[in-house]
Amino acid sequence: MPEPKLAEELKKMQREPLLPIEKKLITRSILLGLFLVAVLAWTSQVLFRN
Amino acid sequence: MKKGMTEDWLAVYIGLLIFALSLAGFFGGDLLGWAVTTSVWTSVSKALAPASKAYAALGGVASLLATYVFLLALLTLGAKALRLEPLRFAKGFTFVFFAGYLSWIAGSWAYIAATADKRAALGIGWSLNLTNEAGFIVALLAGLFVGNFVPYASSRIKEAIRPELYVKTGIVILGGMLGITAAEQTALATSMMFHGLCAIVAAYLIYWAVVYYVARQYFGFSREWAAPLASGISICGVSAAIATGSAIKARPVVPVMVSSLVVIFAVVELLLLPFVAQAFLYREPLVAGAWMGLAVKTDGAAVTSGAIAEALIRAKAAANGSLYQPGWILGASTTVKVFIDVFIGVWAFVLAWIWSAKIEPKPGEKVRAFEIWERFPKFVLGYLATFVLILAVAVAAPVLIPKAKSAMGQANVFRGIFFVMTFFTSGVVSDFRRLWEEGIGKLAVVYVLCLFGFIIWVGLAISWIFFHGVRPPLIQG
Repeated sequence: MPEPKLAEELKKMQREPLLPIEKKLITRSILLGLFLVAVLAWTSQVLFRN
Repeated sequence: MKKGMTEDWLAVYIGLLIFALSLAGFFGGDLLGWAVTTSVWTSVSKALAPASKAYAALGGVASLLATYVFLLALLTLGAKALRLEPLRFAKGFTFVFFAGYLSWIAGSWAYIAATADKRAALGIGWSLNLTNEAGFIVALLAGLFVGNFVPYASSRIKEAIRPELYVKTGIVILGGMLGITAAEQTALATSMMFHGLCAIVAAYLIYWAVVYYVARQYFGFSREWAAPLASGISICGVSAAIATGSAIKARPVVPVMVSSLVVIFAVVELLLLPFVAQAFLYREPLVAGAWMGLAVKTDGAAVTSGAIAEALIRAKAAANGSLYQPGWILGASTTVKVFIDVFIGVWAFVLAWIWSAKIEPKPGEKVRAFEIWERFPKFVLGYLATFVLILAVAVAAPVLIPKAKSAMGQANVFRGIFFVMTFFTSGVVSDFRRLWEEGIGKLAVVYVLCLFGFIIWVGLAISWIFFHGVRPPLIQG
């Protein structure tokens, strides 16, 4: 079987608008990530710097 | 046909076997002292020597051959377990071993490797100050040359071109070394583990979401392409792209193409970031180590970047009068990378659930929790076993610490050899001609934009928040 060509594979790709669930996944991931980094940074200060 | 063993499990078995042999040191034995080590040299005849003085009579060349025969036998048996053709593997491995080791010897030439404090003893007036880890860079460049300019040779040795197997074996062995390092500074080691948690948050929740959004919204990638691409750039390169591709039921070609790009850019990072870290972060060595783990993709490139960064930063710090203990910078890179790896299965499970329940629901399709275990990187178990065992022994019986250090020092000789083979084979698989392939532009632009415009800097910021001002212990006396 011939090896698929990247250019052809990308050409086949169809534009799909972002679904509300994807938007939710992205927004919630980033917000949760930032919140957890802040909590962990604070915990790190308390546990390891004092 | 019966399915063979996975590379992950093979790495665990080989790593644990070498670790177990090194433990003879606790009982007065010396089962690995014949293994070859390389020193910084001005006369090549003095470059090689057996690891242990008990085997000094063997000489450097015989020690190199003994090491080769031992690894050839071990890995050819492993190749059989992987269902590879043993003879073809043995031929390829011979090339990989000697090309890697000769690169290491070349990189250990005093004018390249000697640090400023060693020049007088070696009788030289100048050197590049790169330490003998410069051999890793030479091995990478040699591999890049073979992979990109001698395609005939690279196709003849392809059975043995297994950077993931070599690095994972090296990481299992490294666990014991880091265990003994951690035992001497438990507070610092605990703080490093804690930083691993933050790396998980950054890679999975922040990096992934941003890369996915950029790929989907600004570059018009479909979900099938955007998800493996986001995992490849954000998490752990090849294995994450493949796990994600399978979780969202992408066609196999998608993660394979993403992976080929991941490997190329990981090599670019490996050649750049340790030197950037040396130039700007030599006063913050643990920030540099954690940064390598968070920013450099693929296990091989991340952990070996940590090794290079450690060598470069320790050399520069030594020139400024600070002799940092070895192991801490590499330990930070490895801890961060291993923590990130552990969650690949969980992340693939979460994505599989979201895709099957919310994005592309198919009647009757269920996601099995067992998939988390199936995708769990098994070499992490080997790493944890060696780390925890040595840490526990050293904490429970501090009187055994000198013996543990000596035993892990012998195992570490093999860690170095597995790393140098990782560098060489990483170079061979990095086919830069792919960058000129028609259609790669859009994929490469997303990659470059996200990696160099976002991930590297967020990784640096997070490493800075958690590690600035924390320094490895100094060598006393």
